[in-house]
Amino acid sequence: MNRRTFLKVAGMGSLSFAAGCSKPEKHLYSLVKAPDDMVQGNGTLYASTCRECPAGCGILAKNREGRVVKIEGNPLHPINRGKLCMRGQAALQGVYHPDRIKTPMLKENGQWRAITFPQAEILIKNRTDAAAAKGSNRIRMLTEVVGDTLLSIFNDAMRQWRSPEVLIFEPFAYESLKRANKEIFGINGLVSYRIDKADLLVSFGADFLETWLSPVEYARQFKQMHAYSDGQKGFFFCVSPYQSLTGANSDLWLPCTPGGEAIIVLGLIREVLRTGRDKNLNENIRKKIEQFSSFYTRETVVKLAGASSERFDQLASHLIQAKRPLVLGTGTGGGGENGFHTDLAVNLLNLVLDPDLPTIDLGSRHRVEIAAEHAQVLDFFTKLQKDPADVVFFNNVNPVYALPSASGLREAISQPEQFTIAFANFMDETAERADLVVPVKLPLETWDEYAGKHHLISTLQPAMGKLTGAPDLGGLFLRTALYSQKTSLNYKVAVFDQLHNGNGLKGEAEWVQAIQHGGIFKPPAPDTLKTITAPKLELLNRFAQSMQSISKSVSQDMVFIAAPSIRFFDGRGANKPWLNEVPDPLSKVAWQSPVLVHPQTCEALNIEQGDVVRIESQWGRLNAPVYESDNVKAGVIVMGIGQGHSGYGRYARNFGSNPLDLLSSATVPVSGGRRLWIDSVKIQNTGQHQELATTYGSRIQHGRKIALHITTEALAQPKPAKPSGLGMWDFPLTLPLPEGYDPSRDFYPPIEYDDYRWAMTVDLDRCVGCGACAAACYAENNIGIVGEERVIEGREMAWLQVERYLDPDDMEKVVFLPMMCQQCDNAPCESVCPVYAPHHSKEGLNNQIYNRCIGTRFCSQNCPYKVRRFNWFEWKWPSPINLQLNPDVTVRSKGVMEKCSFCIQRIKTARNVAKNERRLIRDGEVIPACVQTCPTDALIFGNLMDTASRVRQMVADPRAYQVMGYINTKPAVIYLKKVRHVI
Amino acid sequence: MAESSFQATFNDVDQTVLDTLKPPSKLYWLVVVLLFLGVLTGAACWAYQIFVGIGAGGQNVPVAWGTYLINFVFWVGIAHSGTLISAILHLFRAGWRNPIARAAETMTVFAVCIAGLFPFIHLGRVWQVIYMLPYPNQRTLWPNFQSPLMFDVVAISTYLTVSSLFWYTGMLPDLATIRDRATGLRKRIFTVLSLGWTGSHEQWRHYSRGYLFFAALATPLVISVHSVVSWDFALGVVPGWHTTIFAPYFVAGAIHSGLAMVLTLMIPIRAIFRYQNYITINVLENVAKTIVFTGLIVGFAYATEFFIAWYSHNIVEMETFLWRAVGDYSLAFFIMVICNTIIPLLFIFKKIRTHLGWLFGISLIVNVGMWYERFVIIIGSVAHDFLPHAWGLYAPSLIEYGIMFGSFCLFFFLYLLFVKHLPSMSMTEIKETLVKEATDAP
Repeated sequence: MNRRTFLKVAGMGSLSFAAGCSKPEKHLYSLVKAPDDMVQGNGTLYASTCRECPAGCGILAKNREGRVVKIEGNPLHPINRGKLCMRGQAALQGVYHPDRIKTPMLKENGQWRAITFPQAEILIKNRTDAAAAKGSNRIRMLTEVVGDTLLSIFNDAMRQWRSPEVLIFEPFAYESLKRANKEIFGINGLVSYRIDKADLLVSFGADFLETWLSPVEYARQFKQMHAYSDGQKGFFFCVSPYQSLTGANSDLWLPCTPGGEAIIVLGLIREVLRTGRDKNLNENIRKKIEQFSSFYTRETVVKLAGASSERFDQLASHLIQAKRPLVLGTGTGGGGENGFHTDLAVNLLNLVLDPDLPTIDLGSRHRVEIAAEHAQVLDFFTKLQKDPADVVFFNNVNPVYALPSASGLREAISQPEQFTIAFANFMDETAERADLVVPVKLPLETWDEYAGKHHLISTLQPAMGKLTGAPDLGGLFLRTALYSQKTSLNYKVAVFDQLHNGNGLKGEAEWVQAIQHGGIFKPPAPDTLKTITAPKLELLNRFAQSMQSISKSVSQDMVFIAAPSIRFFDGRGANKPWLNEVPDPLSKVAWQSPVLVHPQTCEALNIEQGDVVRIESQWGRLNAPVYESDNVKAGVIVMGIGQGHSGYGRYARNFGSNPLDLLSSATVPVSGGRRLWIDSVKIQNTGQHQELATTYGSRIQHGRKIALHITTEALAQPKPAKPSGLGMWDFPLTLPLPEGYDPSRDFYPPIEYDDYRWAMTVDLDRCVGCGACAAACYAENNIGIVGEERVIEGREMAWLQVERYLDPDDMEKVVFLPMMCQQCDNAPCESVCPVYAPHHSKEGLNNQIYNRCIGTRFCSQNCPYKVRRFNWFEWKWPSPINLQLNPDVTVRSKGVMEKCSFCIQRIKTARNVAKNERRLIRDGEVIPACVQTCPTDALIFGNLMDTASRVRQMVADPRAYQVMGYINTKPAVIYLKKVRHVI
Repeated sequence: MAESSFQATFNDVDQTVLDTLKPPSKLYWLVVVLLFLGVLTGAACWAYQIFVGIGAGGQNVPVAWGTYLINFVFWVGIAHSGTLISAILHLFRAGWRNPIARAAETMTVFAVCIAGLFPFIHLGRVWQVIYMLPYPNQRTLWPNFQSPLMFDVVAISTYLTVSSLFWYTGMLPDLATIRDRATGLRKRIFTVLSLGWTGSHEQWRHYSRGYLFFAALATPLVISVHSVVSWDFALGVVPGWHTTIFAPYFVAGAIHSGLAMVLTLMIPIRAIFRYQNYITINVLENVAKTIVFTGLIVGFAYATEFFIAWYSHNIVEMETFLWRAVGDYSLAFFIMVICNTIIPLLFIFKKIRTHLGWLFGISLIVNVGMWYERFVIIIGSVAHDFLPHAWGLYAPSLIEYGIMFGSFCLFFFLYLLFVKHLPSMSMTEIKETLVKEATDAP
């Protein structure tokens, strides 16, 4: 090699090395012509509707630079009034899910092949045309609950194809409730309840804080009635075999054997009639009811329903004394064998208590009532099996998961002669069995309308650009089936027409207004009760007869209950990482589906928490780890529905087990509904042990003044003098302000603030523990998802945890305590950091400077509230889920500490606005994500320096205290004690 | 050396020490290579941890500090006895410390070096550790001198500097002795190392003054360093940490563990290098007696903690200490109590404290016990602190064990290199003793 060659080679080599190893250049392009509603750096809100369950809450989708980064409740929407549950918060992760199907998938010889959307449409059109040509009834369709526009398009299409109407499938269809309403009120549907108007509420399983009918709406109403205000607080009793989250919020839980609820209702009817509490009841009816309820004496009830006589008496006496009582029937699961009787008796009890039904709104009805009964769904598959159709459509339903495997539907779906088309965005168990899977636009990407209640028509609009080329389903049907009928094949036009023709919207301007408001919200239809005054005698006779069977179908031995889950609903939430990561409110177990067993049962079976048991019924079996729970009745074991998927993406597959596997598929004859419990199951210890992914260390508070409560009686007493000691029991409330300074307690001088001192109050009496705040926090603050294994290691990243504490004197009593950074004035974390990464701001915030943090973790060690979270690893955001990340919040890298910032990005935004307008930030202008979404308004945020602010006024409440204030950290999160009735 | 009939001459002393510097055997190099491989293992574990994140260890919330900080405190503790023996006992004119002073000082220097590594290993972002230095910068950002971790930086670096200088200063005349007897490359190296020592009267005068001042300077450091380390915990609010007894408790514990380590090291060296005539049983016995004393102090501290927890009537403290004894880590607690205070009491019996096997065995046990003491304090307290909902347990991961293994390998690796390349016993001081004995003799 001569010198020149050497120079050439060296030059080329170093050039290519330099070029090859540098990162590809990244460019930031600004839009030459931005859309009207897009200002870079500012979010744009689009009103839409949440479709994660049939309730139909209004949402605002926040779009930043073309992608939705956060969903919040629409404050104008009458159903949820700006609030959202955790499933609603997590809807976003469906859109950006890394396992979302991007193109249609055609199954050929058992192998999936990606095809294009036009190909898929042609395929659908050819197949349906061929099927329709063959004769009538060749095409069938099963759909989720959809809006009227889409439903009429479906049915038009089915008519075009000479096939039966579509069947609307919801795994939880409230059959017993519907039938009971039909019998008593003459309404074959689901009426609304005015929990807020009641002063006493009794639930016979209705889990209205979690999944029942419209949980956000009812949670709000519940706290209007049940939260302590002006010396008043309503009563809430729960009668059920296990405490769901709703039951855990009751003042008194009356455990009963599954199926025993009906007997207790009848016992209550008897008590009410006996004491003459009933009013204006038709004499004939009264006599009849008296006659058949007379059998259900206190002793009979106690014996048959396995209830405590003392608690039954307490319930009865409070019910009799109540002015406006409301009794709710069975839960989302439908109550099983006796569900219909329970609901019927509950409706009767409501009538007996007050025939005017002031707490029931018969004119306002939940849309989920249009769902078919379980019997019809089973019939759909039976027919399919007997007489295979040519084409079967499934629209966003997953019956293979949601119905017991015993129902034979798997075979019915995958019959070779039938072409099954699933409209699904995920390869769930049903889609896997289909021949063609066509992804369609998700609710956040499409125009639509959906009326959660008939008079509240809620609109949907595309809140973001397309992530896939998927068409909207309405348009697809218009193009493939109705191309000859309709003038426009654009689904948006169909929605527009529906709102104009069906709902009296006039002109483009009103349409725009409706879209901006998120819907057309009319008053409910007039109450139709007056026409139905009272149930017919003939019904009561029939009822009296069938009552005989009730006592027989009360179960006494080991009963397995599959409980609808606040996190996964019927299983559709299981693919969202946030819903898996935020632990179950009651068991505080994430990512897993343990079976809840009473400690007594555990002892009898010689099993411990974490032992894997095999549960066997005549229909199936499953293995699951045991969680010892005091919230279930002894002899009853409960497992949440939702996990145990064999498909449905990486976050759902092979997590937990599916409790529905154990259940019989047969319908309950009297209601046409399904059974979510089964008795005589066998439990057997497998000898294996599974570490539970719990997020709690202890179930009780060890007397440390953490989650406090006070009785209504104590509150009525004159206020004791303000304590002023240094001990745990007489340490005063020390505000994180100069006025909280006391030279006898404090070493360092007080911190002075100018205009702002941010603080939060948490009313424990309002907190129901639903965890919506925690999910909202994940969404807003780009919090890492760590997964099952890391949760077991104790490395979950939640900035806000809802802590659950049981009462050591009565382990059935639960207190929930949302715990986030307390933004202390005397912050123990600040003084120990060697590099000032935790830094006290001029506005009282305890800022964590990520760039400065070197990861000594001393702050976390020294934090008494253990709210600091460390980035043990670089957390993964598999594409495109990274597109959800909030651009206003740093994504933290490995090795740094993080924690709740009081949503400082929102404070900054508000300050910018205030600064432009040359004023101070107003009270209520800054709303952190957790405060924003709390369905019960338990959290309030504001400025302590502003004496008129709500938060400042709350601080003056006699219930106000600071968690472990005796450490003298002077937290800026001030809690209000939970209020308990003395029953 | 009263019981010894052997009366050494200056030449004997020189010869004994110089014999240790003869070319080592193959076995020696084999052990050195194996230890070096151990060091590499630890380094590889650390590299892996830097690459994937601190999550490679077993820490979590609430136990965010794991074995790294345990080992940090453990090695700082080990580092104590060297200076105690060479400085404090020098000031007290305890002649029995002379034969072991050099070995103990060397132990100190290496142990501080290793201890100093652990805070780095522990950091989440070790590459940003520069933030802890008070360097001038545009944004006038300074480290937080209120933080005990900053105290640590100052205390440990001071201690390392002073103890290294003390060690080196003490070694100067010995280095010159080696230089005088050496040839070739070794002579050139030791010529540089001995800094032109000629042994003139003037030099001796400076030397002995300097050594005395160093001893006086190092003495408060012995107390201060571990007091500062204890404030890493005592200045926190965590129940089980937040107590005023921590500084003396930690200092006593450190000396306890350091003395045990001295025995662990001296007994094999004494056998291998035939130092029996200098490091007599009497010397070891004195160390053992001191261990009884420090063990009692440590035991007293354990008891005081429990007493104060009860006396305070603070339910958080009471619960913490009750859990310490009967909770998930009770095994560690009892290992700590038994190994540190009960077993060393055996040294009360003369037969045991003059028996090499017992001495060696108990010294190992105390080392184990002192490691567990740090485990009980560092892990046990936060695992069960204020907020019951956040309670959680911790177990070290393989990576942590790897790094811990590496740290022990590094220590013995350095020590093995030292004993074959530098004088492991102070010739100067032994000779001083000989002179003193000779002049004291009637």
